[in-house]
Amino acid sequence: MVPPTSISLVIPSEIRLVDVVHTAAERVAEIAGFDEDGALNVALAVRETVINAITHGNGRDPDLRVEVEVEADDRRLRATVVDQGAGFRPEDTPDPTASENLLRSSGRGLLLVRAFVDEVRFRRVDGRGMEVTLVKYLTDGPKAAGNGGRPDAEERRTER
Amino acid sequence: MKASVRNIGHVSVVDLSGKITIGEGDVVLRNTVQGLLDSGRSNILLNLEKVTYMDSAGLGELVACYKRTKEKKGNVKLLNPSGKVYDLLSLTKLEEVFETYKDEKEALVSY
Repeated sequence: MVPPTSISLVIPSEIRLVDVVHTAAERVAEIAGFDEDGALNVALAVRETVINAITHGNGRDPDLRVEVEVEADDRRLRATVVDQGAGFRPEDTPDPTASENLLRSSGRGLLLVRAFVDEVRFRRVDGRGMEVTLVKYLTDGPKAAGNGGRPDAEERRTER
Repeated sequence: MKASVRNIGHVSVVDLSGKITIGEGDVVLRNTVQGLLDSGRSNILLNLEKVTYMDSAGLGELVACYKRTKEKKGNVKLLNPSGKVYDLLSLTKLEEVFETYKDEKEALVSY
């Protein structure tokens, strides 16, 4: 059994720091027991969420921070990413796999996030920004149980 | 991310290695392809065999390169995407956009 562990990072909204968070999340996933590919998937989901927080949440304003917490136990890894910006409406993001959107040069981040973790939750926090929580189970998560990561695997909540 | 170019006939093969991600690999890819287009070479084969992974920005830059090359009446094709990169291309349905080859000779004669 792996003892529970966690890390917390607070970064300014600088793209060059995304790799730092990616590496940290990947390492925590490895410690938690994910294999190499599973740890990379978790890290990619965290990476894309942080990029969204920096670009769409905080508008790349270096004075605004992004808080990242990654915690893991022997059952699952959970990552929470909070920005300080005006937020965005994830449900308004067009489907990047629709034929009319295939040649768009952006808009694929949430697709990757949803593909690589079992649960994605969005919550608007008064006075802070958007809080995005990702959960990936080590085994037998909701995806493994058969819902295949469809959007209905998500719980979306908005609090104002 | 590193990129090196081999010109074989009228095709430029770009050997990429590392990761194509925001703020780094995507910039290298953009500059390399733009340099080829500026020098009049618009038949471009991106060798992805040694690319470990991409993020959404890397995938977006692939699409941007494809569009810029099409504007020059050329084409960007892909060679040997690795397992993770292939998964990403499949997940995003970009495999429907790009002609993809496993064999370089076969790719070269397709232009």
